[in-house]
Formats: sequence, structure tokens, C-alpha cells
Amino acid sequence: MNPRLQLLVPAEPEQLRGLPLFAGIPEKARDKVIEKVRRYIHVVAFEPGDIVLREGEYSDSAYCIVDGAVEVVLTAGPAAGARPEVRGGAHVPPPQRAGARPEAEAMVGRGRGTGGTVILSAMPADVVPGQRTILEAGEIFGEIGALSRYPVSATVRAETRLTLLQIRLPGLRMLLAASKEFKKFLDERYRARTMARHLRSVPLFEKVDDQFVERVKEKAELLSFEPGQVIVEEGSPADSFYLVRGGYVKVSVRAGSADLAVTYLRKGDYAGEAALLLDEAWPFTLQALEHVEIVRVGKDDFKALAARHPQLEESLWAEMVARLKLRGAASRNPVSSEYLQMAMETGLIHGESVLLIDLSTCTRCDECVRGCADAHGGEPRFIREGQKYRHWLVPTACYQCTDPVCMVDCPTGAITRSVGTLEVTINEPTCIGCSNCANRCPWGNIIMVERGEKRPDGKPVELATKCDLCLARPEGPACVQMCPHGSAVRISFKDLERVTATLR
Amino acid sequence: MRYGQVLRPKEPGNARATAVAAAVLLLVFVLAGARWPWSPKRGLGLFFGFLATALFVFEMAYPFRRPKARPLGTAKAWAQAHVYLGTIALLAVLIHAGFRLPKGALGWALLLLSAWTTASGLVGVWLQKWIPAALAEGLRVEALYERIPGLVDQLVAEADALMAGADEVGERFYRTEVRPSLGRPNPSWGFLLDVRASRDRALEPFRRVADFVDPAQKALIDDLMSIYTEKIELDAHYSLQGILRRWLVLHVPTAGMLMGLLAVHVFAWAWY
Repeated sequence: MNPRLQLLVPAEPEQLRGLPLFAGIPEKARDKVIEKVRRYIHVVAFEPGDIVLREGEYSDSAYCIVDGAVEVVLTAGPAAGARPEVRGGAHVPPPQRAGARPEAEAMVGRGRGTGGTVILSAMPADVVPGQRTILEAGEIFGEIGALSRYPVSATVRAETRLTLLQIRLPGLRMLLAASKEFKKFLDERYRARTMARHLRSVPLFEKVDDQFVERVKEKAELLSFEPGQVIVEEGSPADSFYLVRGGYVKVSVRAGSADLAVTYLRKGDYAGEAALLLDEAWPFTLQALEHVEIVRVGKDDFKALAARHPQLEESLWAEMVARLKLRGAASRNPVSSEYLQMAMETGLIHGESVLLIDLSTCTRCDECVRGCADAHGGEPRFIREGQKYRHWLVPTACYQCTDPVCMVDCPTGAITRSVGTLEVTINEPTCIGCSNCANRCPWGNIIMVERGEKRPDGKPVELATKCDLCLARPEGPACVQMCPHGSAVRISFKDLERVTATLR
Repeated sequence: MRYGQVLRPKEPGNARATAVAAAVLLLVFVLAGARWPWSPKRGLGLFFGFLATALFVFEMAYPFRRPKARPLGTAKAWAQAHVYLGTIALLAVLIHAGFRLPKGALGWALLLLSAWTTASGLVGVWLQKWIPAALAEGLRVEALYERIPGLVDQLVAEADALMAGADEVGERFYRTEVRPSLGRPNPSWGFLLDVRASRDRALEPFRRVADFVDPAQKALIDDLMSIYTEKIELDAHYSLQGILRRWLVLHVPTAGMLMGLLAVHVFAWAWY
């Protein structure tokens, strides 16, 4: 039996009390915290050779080795920042400059995205690609991937008989809130192993020297925000530079009594450097849309760093001039702000490839659904129904999310995304029909389909199906190609410029 | 309103290319006609006959655009080619005949069928642009055609449950004035010209009866009115999506007949 199919055994308070994880919690509060957290902590056992985490998958858990050892193997992934595209040119092309709306982008800095980025720090040792590293009892791994929702950066295999404590994300967050020491421990790990890579993924810091990175690592503060929490308020004095480690942040400006969404930040994006250099107040409000992890560099440190690196300061000023020219446009164009707000409220911002249908040109002929069915053995992978926004329909087709929560918790690893690609796919022969993925998809875009077979208990066999962007078709997604009116488009909500130009 | 887009070609480049091609064909006809006597049986006249035949054969290949057939290009490109080359085909037929009325029955049949098929195709193009724009801009509800009867049943059940708590006035109003037309889809051609056709008139009784019921019952009437509004929108969808599905009966059978007669025409020319 696959080790991941084993029953999860809840951890007993006695098992947890002695762990270094809880050492930082004041003794009086420790039992209370353990009682709260323990429902998210399970004891899992593995035989030698069993895979605990597979490179490229997504995980919502950190693991603490109780007994035994694991082997960590890292293959050399694709270059960070490689931007995967949908095959067959199904994505709408970038808008012409005349129709482009780059002003939202201009208010904040865009990172390169994290598709394919290998985050070494998810592992507690300096793992060298191609080499194996052994971790032993007491070590923790997987926490960065769980907190920041980066794909797992290395494959972890049981080296010996292994007992682990699996700490699910809510438990991890509770521990972080309860134990300053645990937070400090994780922060230091991030600072030591990931931050440099993270900084280098930001175009602004791409060319800075190692000394600069070391200084930032030293000076930066790591902050966490709860959903809805305001990070900075428009009009308040700008006192920091913010780099997003994980989660989504709404950027909005006040226009009269309205709150206009201007854009959003995701991991790798940054904000605040312009206001710092100009000694201005914050020109917008930043608000956490979900759990958000931030790297904060204070005003004085940031200015000192910028002053010490004239090349950086120069590019900051050049970038800022361009931004200032465009800043007011969001308030002059409330419709695009409305679309953005809608995308944030409905979760479309998570989508790497969202299918949209323009209802003002769609003749409801269902050729898109028929094309999808033809490409998948007669079974369409989406329904031409869903949320309607103005004249756009968002059908129930997989968004191919940046952080696919459906991939967390698949007991057989049937649902996967190859590193550096867009398509989240389900391998049917491996799917056991547990419906974990379907239950986890917040948008209901994974459907359980009966296969005409019966289980031993007489119930029908149901397997998970979802849009796979027509992997088997060299021409790309059939839904887009088969629309005779060009009404079906695929869009990545990462490319706000394309989104606003397309949806207007 | 986005109705303006109905008048604009989806691909202006294709429209321009078609206009240029049509102008060139006409110019060839005018120049050649001025120099030589025009005959459909020889020279350029015969060439235009071949051209029209080839284009009509291409037009009939439209159903083969599906992915199983591994098409060249997208379905949109096929649709565009179908529309514009179909128009050119009719022009080629007219030039082939030298813009003269046909003499025999077969000639008349071919001309009329070509004209009808092309005209019905263009009506289809108009419908396919007009109706989606009207549905998207004029209605809040979006529904799959096949599901509309089921959705109407759901609305009836919802309205029945709602009005179970109504007083005598409300109950009588519901039973006599609302329930009969709520029970099934009521398609109407009126929606084609105005997707919100007669909505105000249909909702007027709700406003009137609201004046005669006590405030607690008024909320019920308001809810009933929103159910009824949704039903009217479903009727509009049912009518217009039905038209979008059925207009092809004007186009496809005549296209098939045209191809049959065209085969006879070509055979007769080759044989005699």
C-alpha cells in the first residue's frame, strides 16, 4: 500500500510536550497550545524507500522527524522565472501599447513569478542538486513550502524506518502565533536559506552584489498578516519597503468614499520603494487578501542600501519616474478597477489559465464543450455555466491556480503539476476517487465522474476529472480553438495588463 | 450597449480582403465583357462557373472543422472563410451568368438557391451577432438552453412555496394572473427586436396589486415579482437561443439542394 494512504494517527499530548517545537512556549500556556494544535498534528510512519514529499508537488504540511532518517534528493529544475505559456497560442495576446493599461503594474513592482522556482530552504540543509542529503531525528522540513505555498523543492524519501509528525498548515500557523522561538527559528531558516534567492528573483535586485543581499538579509524583518488585515494605510508615512513572500495583497486607492482596487501583489512582488525615495506618504492601501508573509526593510536601512548601490538607486529613480506618470490612471478608470475587484473577490487572481467566454459574442452553440469532449474521449472537462460578470462568463473549468490547493493531500500523488508548467493534471490510473482534490478546489472545478464500475461495497467508482488544457492536443486547448466566434479566451490573471485590456 | 458591434465585422481585415476580391472579380468581368462577348460556357464565363462550384464545395466542407478531423486552423478561421467565401461564391455565380436572368428551369433553380442560401447565411451571421449582444446586455440571467424548462419548474416551485403564505388578495392574484404564465416557457419573436420586450407591461400588475396589500404581504409580492422577472428573462433566453439553434433550417437544406442541382448542372455541361 502506498504509505500516503495510511490512516493518520493523532499525536498524543505526551508525545508533543517534549518536542523542541514547543520548547519556546511558556510552560503555563504550553498545554493549552498543545491541546489546540494537536488536532492538526499526526504521527505518520514510513518504510525505507517510501516517498514522503515529491519534488514539484504542493504540500500543506511541515514534518518533524521523530525517529529514523530521510534522504533529500534535488534535481536541477528549470531556470527560475521561466514563464510557461499555454500551447497553441490559446492565451490572449498581449495588448497593443495603445490599448495597454500598464498603470496598475506601474504602482507596484512585479516579481518574475514563482513558476518553476526551486526554493531550497524548504529543506533544512544545503541540498545540492543531484546529491543526496540525510536528515535525522529532530529536523523539520517542508515548512516553507507549506507557509508560502511554493512547490516542494526536493524529493524526500525514508532512508530508514521512519516516524514523522505531520503538522498541517493551521497547526503551523498556530504554533507560529504561540511561540516566538518557533517563529524566530523559522524566520532564521528563511533568512539563511531562501531570502537571497527570493531577492534575486525580483528584477530590481537581480544585479545587486552579494554584499547587498547579505545586508538585506540582516536588516529585513519577516512579518505575517491575517486575511483582511491592513498592512499599510494610504496617507500614512511610508516607512518600509515590502516584498511579498506568500499570499495575495490587495492594493487600493481611495476615490471619494469608494475604495478602488488598483492591482494586487503576489509572491515575488514588492511595493514601497518609490514612496521611500520621494519621502512621500503611502499612495495606496495594502491589505492582506489571505494569510500573507512579508519581508519588510525599514526606511533608513532601505535608503542606506540604495545610497550604497548607485546602480540600484539609478534604476529605482528611472522606474519611479515612469510610475509617477501613470499613477493617477487607476482612479480615472474605475471600470478596470471593478474588474480587478471582481477577480480578487471571486478568486480569479489565482488563475494561471482561466477560461472566459464573452457572452456578447457567444452564440451558445456549445462547440467549446463539444471540442473539449472530443479531445477527452467524449467527456467534456467543463460546463458552460458559472459566474457571470458583466458580459463575461467564467465557466466551471479549472483555473490552473498558481498555488493549486487541490494538489495538497492527494494520497496517491495522482494530481500533479510538472515544475515549470501550467497544467495541473490528474493521472487517471493512479486516482483512487477519494475526492480530496474536488473537495479542496474552492471553485468547484474538479468533478467526480462515475466510471461504470462498482467498488466492492457496491458503490459506483468515481474518479476526479478536470481541465488539463488539452495536454494531448498539440494544437492546445480545444475550447478556444473550436469556438467559431473567438468568444472563448484563456487568460492568466498574473498578466494584469492583458486582463484589463481583454475585459474592458 | 454593445449592439454597435453587430455592424462591425469581427475581422475587419477579412471584410476588406473580400471587398477587394469582389471588386477585382467585377473589374475582370467588366473589362473582359467589354472586349469579348460573355458566355457562361467558355472562357472567363466558364472559369467563374468553376470558381463558384469550387467555393460551394468548400462551403460544404464547413462541418469538417472539428478536432477529430485535425483541422487546419481554428474554428473561427473556418467560420470566417465560410462567410466571406460564400459571399464571393454568389458573386461568382452572378458573373458566371453575366448578370443575366437564366433561361431554363435548372438555371433559375440554381440562381434562386444560390441567392437564398447566401442570403439565409448572412441572416444567420446577423442573428449570431445580434442575439448574443442582446442577451449579454439586456439580461441579468444566463442559462443553458436545455436547462431552461427545468429552471422554469424550479421557479414555479419557488413561487408556489412563497405564495403559500400569502393573504387572500395575494393568493388570488398569484393563482389567476401569475401562475398560468409562470408554469412553462413562453417563447416569443418579440424578444428578437427587443430583449426586454413588454417587461414593463408584464410587471405592471405586480406594482398595482402591491398597493392593495398590507406591508408584510408587499414583501411577498416583491419577491414574486423578482421570480417573475427571472422567468421573463428565461423566456427571452429560450426564444433567442431557440432561434440561434433553428435558423439553420433556412440555410442547410437549401445548401444541400444547391449542391445536388450543381452536380446535375456540371454533369449536364460535361455531357452535352
